[in-house]
Amino acid sequence: MSEINLENVEVAFDTPAGTVVAVSGVTQRVPAQGFVSLVGPSGCGKSTLLSVIAGLTKATGGQVQVGGKVVNGPDRGIGVVFQEDSTLPWRTVLDNVRFALQVAGVDKEGQLERARWAIELVGLKGFADAYPSMLSGGMRQRVALARTLALEPGVVLMDEPFAALDQQTRIFLGAEVRSIWQRSAQTVLFVTHDISEAILLSEQVWVMSYRPGQIIDVIDVDLPAERDPSIVSSHAFNELHNRIWTSLQEESMRGFRQQEGAA
Amino acid sequence: MRTAAMAHQSKEPVTVPETTPTGTAAAAPAMSPRRRRRLGDATFSGIATTILVALLAVLCEIGPRAGWWGEEVLPSTSSIVASAADLLGQPQFWGDAARTSLEIGLSIVFGSVLGLLLGLVFWKLPTVGRIFEPYLVSFYAVPMVLFYPLAIVVVGINASSVVILATIMATIPVALNTTVGLNGIRPVYLKLARSLQCSPRQLLTSIALPAAAPFIVAGLRLGVVYALIGSIAMEFVTAQAGLGYRIRYLYEIFDNQTMFAYIFVVLVVSMILTALLVAVEKLLVKGRTQ
Amino acid sequence: MPVARPLTLKQRHGQFLGSIAVAFAVVLLWQIVSGLLFVVPAPARTVAVLASNLTDPDYLVDARETALAVATAFVIGTLLGGLVGLVLGLVKPVRLATEPLIVALNGVPKIVLYPILLPIFQLGGSKIVMGVLFCLFPVLINVAAGVRHIPDVYWKLARSVQASWLQTLVHIILPAIRRPLLTGLRLAVSLAVVGVVLSEFFATRYGLGRVVLQTYGHGDYPEMVATILLLIVVSFTISMLLWRWEKKVQ
Repeated sequence: MSEINLENVEVAFDTPAGTVVAVSGVTQRVPAQGFVSLVGPSGCGKSTLLSVIAGLTKATGGQVQVGGKVVNGPDRGIGVVFQEDSTLPWRTVLDNVRFALQVAGVDKEGQLERARWAIELVGLKGFADAYPSMLSGGMRQRVALARTLALEPGVVLMDEPFAALDQQTRIFLGAEVRSIWQRSAQTVLFVTHDISEAILLSEQVWVMSYRPGQIIDVIDVDLPAERDPSIVSSHAFNELHNRIWTSLQEESMRGFRQQEGAA
Repeated sequence: MRTAAMAHQSKEPVTVPETTPTGTAAAAPAMSPRRRRRLGDATFSGIATTILVALLAVLCEIGPRAGWWGEEVLPSTSSIVASAADLLGQPQFWGDAARTSLEIGLSIVFGSVLGLLLGLVFWKLPTVGRIFEPYLVSFYAVPMVLFYPLAIVVVGINASSVVILATIMATIPVALNTTVGLNGIRPVYLKLARSLQCSPRQLLTSIALPAAAPFIVAGLRLGVVYALIGSIAMEFVTAQAGLGYRIRYLYEIFDNQTMFAYIFVVLVVSMILTALLVAVEKLLVKGRTQ
Repeated sequence: MPVARPLTLKQRHGQFLGSIAVAFAVVLLWQIVSGLLFVVPAPARTVAVLASNLTDPDYLVDARETALAVATAFVIGTLLGGLVGLVLGLVKPVRLATEPLIVALNGVPKIVLYPILLPIFQLGGSKIVMGVLFCLFPVLINVAAGVRHIPDVYWKLARSVQASWLQTLVHIILPAIRRPLLTGLRLAVSLAVVGVVLSEFFATRYGLGRVVLQTYGHGDYPEMVATILLLIVVSFTISMLLWRWEKKVQ
């Protein structure tokens, strides 16, 4: 059971303009098999926090535990899906998905079996031999997702994976991510700046402030487990949306003013 | 051969970085943007090239016969082809060809290995790369020929002085292109490698080299071309054997007929080699753009 | 996107010092080698010979001859290359028809054509033509590629403001291709030098290439190395300046 425990996590960067505190005093918990979305204004440090949990960025203070183990660096039990297209253009879909398994030292038979399973899981059956350049942006993100899922990590971290996609594709892919999660035993932390996406997908939403990034609000999403997109017109959805929007708006304006001031 | 320039133009995110850190001394990969009538274009190119070559051949056939220029300036196509065919039966020609091939072959092998290693070093140690960059860019391959008289004084008039300089000429484009290619790797690939816990070897063979491959391959192509141009040019200055040397020698003993045959063979062989290299390069990076 | 992080002042300082250190190391190596091999003159001696050469009127005749030939070849080569490159970049059928031949020709050791040029252009003209042949291709290829990659929206802009041909060239095309054009020019400079000097190695009446070969023949190595040094330093300096300019142009 992989739960994520954040204890007083702090990340500070040294820049020519001085020290920037990107994440400050974050103490939160993602329950095992939970689905939490992290929303916040752009540049608030949500990707940094995710990067710390993935072991790709060192925290300058506090501690991260995943499944009871302190995170000290990358771990194959923690899967990451990046915002940018991370499919390798010189490999076919199958070989892209296999890549994670190859690196992990899985034998060839196991690689093929699990890669095929993951490709089917993300709905890319029939595209195994295609090159990424033949696929749309949404399909490439599915490949990246399949590559992450092929390792069957206990924790999946998603860093605005659909940010570059059009609205329809996002909604569709989001629903699929949720349905895959429902059928699995994985713990998911999903970073996004889209409030509707956060509500539609997750069980809980964390709102992060502009620098220094702190969690200023935690909202439980009390919506039915099966959510079709029409739910956005429900009263409950709108209440949640309003609440998140109100806390975000202030922070976005603050971030905007600070950036304008710096420029 | 695309000597440079395109690298910073294309917005294609996968293979061509927007800026080339070496100030575009590097060759851009020979990749054409996706085109719908690709095959049509290639066919058109092929037919047009054939027609152009045929026209040139006919012109050079008629020229001396009609008295537009003398045989001693440029003999007719048919007589050049005939004496070139003659050459192929002469052991001396094969001796020269073997000498030149040996020089070029060795320079390509040494240059490629050295260039790749340097590229890797410049990538891993960016400061070292930036320190050597101005020198590599300014000695971009061909001016090395100017050192040839010095090389023959030090090393002697033999294959090794040619090989040493031609190796340097081949090394420079390979090193520059490898550096540009490696520096242009999209950061997300490196993040991916870290999150999957790739070993340094896996990072190199599965991420870095394939990601930089279009640039490296273009650099290797340039390396081959510069080794060829450099070797023959140096032989032409002075040597004891080789195709370049023979052309000069035949000029000095006024054996025009054989000299033109040699020139013809050198031109044809190097043109075919260049065309082949471009074709191979396009084939190697094919899967990515289609 | 690979964004080159701007270097801090300290880094740029270090880099400059590093480059100087490399140059210093090369001179030191040269000094050591000159101690081991009697055929290699010491750096100080070479520079002294070079200095005295540059006050020798006979030597200056040769230097002027080579400089003139290089300059002429460079101007003709870049103009011709630029023009042809422009046509190739703009007119697709012409590009498709000639691209394979141009690519193949660029891979040819052009110096072997020198014996063919000699009877046509004589001693004085042939080396200029050879210089042109050498420096033509980088300009041509870079201009053609540059023009071809001008974003469509620029052409639309030119049409929407009804720019004349000349205006389009001056205000759209040239600025849009300035970087590949500069790269082409930088390569063209050293190639023009190489083309001319190689020709002079072969046969000429005056010129630094002839000086190099003659001093080689006489075994006067300090003279030879001094002349090679002059040629290298001059083309290196021009190349370096053009490269720095190129880097500044964004």
